[in-house]
Amino acid sequence: MLEWIAFVILGLSLLLAGRMVVVSRDLVHSVLWLAVALVSTAGLFITLNAEFLAAVQILLYTGGVITLMLFGIMLTRRLATARVEHGSSGRVRGGVLALATFALVTVAVRQASRSGHLIQTGTLGDTKALGSLVLRDLMLPFEALSVLLLAAMIGAIVLARKVDP
Amino acid sequence: MMEGGLLFGNPWLHGLIMGVIVLSGAMGVAAYAVWFERKFAARMQNRPGPTEVGYGGLLQPIADLLKLLQKEHLIPRSADRPLFNLAPVLVVIAPLATLAVIPFGPGLVGTDPSIGLLFALAISSLMVIPVWMAGWASNNKYALLGAMRAAAQAISYEIPLLLAAMVPIVLTGSFRVGDIVAAQEGGRWFAFWPPGPGFFAFLLFFFASLAESNRIPFDIPEAESELVAGVTTEYSGMIFGLIYLAEYLHTFIASALAALLFLGGWQGPGPDGIHWMLLKSLLVFAVIFWIRWSWLRYRSDQLMAMCWKIFLPLGLVLVMASAIWVQLR
Repeated sequence: MLEWIAFVILGLSLLLAGRMVVVSRDLVHSVLWLAVALVSTAGLFITLNAEFLAAVQILLYTGGVITLMLFGIMLTRRLATARVEHGSSGRVRGGVLALATFALVTVAVRQASRSGHLIQTGTLGDTKALGSLVLRDLMLPFEALSVLLLAAMIGAIVLARKVDP
Repeated sequence: MMEGGLLFGNPWLHGLIMGVIVLSGAMGVAAYAVWFERKFAARMQNRPGPTEVGYGGLLQPIADLLKLLQKEHLIPRSADRPLFNLAPVLVVIAPLATLAVIPFGPGLVGTDPSIGLLFALAISSLMVIPVWMAGWASNNKYALLGAMRAAAQAISYEIPLLLAAMVPIVLTGSFRVGDIVAAQEGGRWFAFWPPGPGFFAFLLFFFASLAESNRIPFDIPEAESELVAGVTTEYSGMIFGLIYLAEYLHTFIASALAALLFLGGWQGPGPDGIHWMLLKSLLVFAVIFWIRWSWLRYRSDQLMAMCWKIFLPLGLVLVMASAIWVQLR
């Protein structure tokens, strides 16, 4: 029962925050609402017993990515004073797209749970199992991902540097 | 640990009661830390410090609190009102949330989840957002500069802090704070055992915590000699008091974590218990004040150079060394 109440509160706050990210006219407010949305998602992870994922979500996304975004806004004068305009055109198209995505995800989840491919609740919270899965069984894709990130980082440095020393 | 460690049977009841005890205790410590710091600084500078209110100025924090509560809450006209008012509240909530997973003795904890330490570090990494909000919403150039420095500092020092915390995690093989303390049984504190990585990890954790909680020599976001008062420039009254309180809470939590991770927590010679935990965390806390009143502030670029060129490689080496130790043992 208590988990159900927590789920409803977190879900509602996620929905509200997600809406505010889109409709807020102030870029800074948008980013801060995004932080609320990310923390609510972490809360949802906890109700699903994926505690490690929740902690990493807060640490990396809210603590890291949001801080970087705020930093980016602050250092860019043009962004800091910008008022975001919201056109109301394309509402029907957007609505249809949103409904289609929702239907797609719902169908996928239902099928996966019927065929038993869905990860059981509680197994993701086991940090040891997750660690050996990522760092032993899926070692190669994991390392490939880190090389990709490294490449992106080097690329950013090359682009940002104006002159060669 | 949690199953056997419940003092009040029902986990909800336990969480509620322990929460009230821990939060009021931490608030008391934070309030009296101000008194202690003033006395301590005064003695270092050969002056008496607060003496008027109560014996030895002991009632000074209460007088300060009453004064702050009576002051007007000023909001600058050009400030972003909702953010300006919300920021100080969130600044206090972040360290209070961390306290939920910090045990002060066996069973003396709100909850001890399997990811306890990671949760504590994650929540304290969130603290930079409300601090940034406060600086941004003030719409004041000094506050904004302070906010910018705070964000840069927090995001850089989070990495060495996590690496330093990884050392006890690797040595224990668990994120649960209770397990980490249990692994240091019999005086094998991680600061001294295994000899080498533990001690340097302790130093790294200590300095990275100083930077995270913006204490001297890393109080660059506040730097009163150049930035007026940094992010708190436009704040007044109790709402300023909240930001101030949060800083002391954050420092106290950092000391408690250092005591738990590296100094054996509530274990000690003689009977284990909350007295050892309090003694160790308050000792670390006192060292932080000692440093504050005897060290000079670093420049922002020096701070960054130190983080990326010394602390980060050192952290990586320490994690490797402790992993090798675990494998060889």
